[in-house]
Amino acid sequence: MEFKKAPPVVFPWEDKKKEYEKILGDEEIVKKLWEEYDMFAYMFVWFLVTAM
Amino acid sequence: MAEDMEKLYNERMDRYVKANRREKPDKVPFRPFAAEAVGAFYGLNAQQVTHDVDQGLDAIIRFCKDFDIDATVSNMVYVWTGLTESYGTKYYGVPGIDLEVFESFQYREPKKDDESWMRADEYDRFVEDPVEFTMNVWAPRMSRYFESPDSKNTWKNNLAWLKGGIGFMYYGMKIGAHVQRMKDEAGTVSCLSGALKAPFDILADKFRGFRGISYDIHRQPDKVLKATEAVAPHMLNNALLGADPAKQVPVSHWMHRGATGFFSEDIFKKFYWPTLREVTEEIWKAGYQTIYYAEGKWGKNLKYFLELPEGSIIFHCDKDDIFEVHRILGKKFAVSGGVPNDMLAYGSPEDVRKRVKEVIETVGKDGGFLLDAEAIMQQDTKKENFKAMADACAEYGVYKN
Repeated sequence: MEFKKAPPVVFPWEDKKKEYEKILGDEEIVKKLWEEYDMFAYMFVWFLVTAM
Repeated sequence: MAEDMEKLYNERMDRYVKANRREKPDKVPFRPFAAEAVGAFYGLNAQQVTHDVDQGLDAIIRFCKDFDIDATVSNMVYVWTGLTESYGTKYYGVPGIDLEVFESFQYREPKKDDESWMRADEYDRFVEDPVEFTMNVWAPRMSRYFESPDSKNTWKNNLAWLKGGIGFMYYGMKIGAHVQRMKDEAGTVSCLSGALKAPFDILADKFRGFRGISYDIHRQPDKVLKATEAVAPHMLNNALLGADPAKQVPVSHWMHRGATGFFSEDIFKKFYWPTLREVTEEIWKAGYQTIYYAEGKWGKNLKYFLELPEGSIIFHCDKDDIFEVHRILGKKFAVSGGVPNDMLAYGSPEDVRKRVKEVIETVGKDGGFLLDAEAIMQQDTKKENFKAMADACAEYGVYKN
């Protein structure tokens, strides 16, 4: 088996970014916060399955 | 934190880490995994400690203090059914709701394939995107409230995701504060961080169920293998996202369907082991050990664990002969366990003392051993027997040099 690491992502930033016509400020700040909260969603999804 | 408590905590952490790494600490660590037993010791029933997390956590603090626990699980009844009820989980029987208040929570598996959380013909969708499948297909089936995106939305669906998410964060905060209390008030180490499940176990326990997977490994083995490979990276992420940043405390891993009572060695070798080995190796590469809490008997499958890097796991022995397990695995890995649960429930304090002495003098002779019961201790554990176990560990577990 070739182990392929999966990113801890539910709703990828690349898809989210398409919703914006333009980001006027620092895109990295928007991306960072999006990914941080998305990671919590990812953790919650697997928490439903694994931890309980 | 009082200075003496900090010193005690540091000594215990050092003891715990050394034993896990197969070194010889000052003493054999006492690392009991006690669940409903903790409640029973303090007059609480299964409903109280399972559903009311605060009562359960308070009991653990008293337990850590009263029995001089070196290291233990922070949330011993690890299912907080107050949270699982908030999103309407169907796969638990809950004490005080579905069960009598003195009964432990139970897992429920659908009896028919067309009621299973994942159907036999859904492997391709699962493999394509396990996260999407879990949220959109699995979750609506295992919950009384979650709705599929293909269904009409309901306020119960919205509320369940909201309450579940908030509850998850709330629970995390409670556990974080509780781990600090264990340290500050009892000098006890919270012994697990991060949760791993074997990819095959996740399929067998939570998606297809034991009946379903038993058919699938013969009817569509390639799809089962692909599914274990698809979910493995997510099991790795799940383990690492919750792991101890200091890399002292190992990742937990509760092992089920690889036990010899469920499937043959060939099935273990083909379906269970390859992805579990890969994930364990990745966790080790990231700097963490994993506790293989091997529920049941693993017998002829034990030898496969020798393929793992030295020190990468701590093997917890349940129904296997711990002396034989130590003979097979002890040169590469630390071992924990040693005291049969039936002895703790039906034996005498003297029986327990003798057993602890025997195990420490053989399996624990050169370090790399942590004393525990064979399996999670439930409400049938006699308090006087548990006290004898703690006292005997303190008496016989001191290393002379």
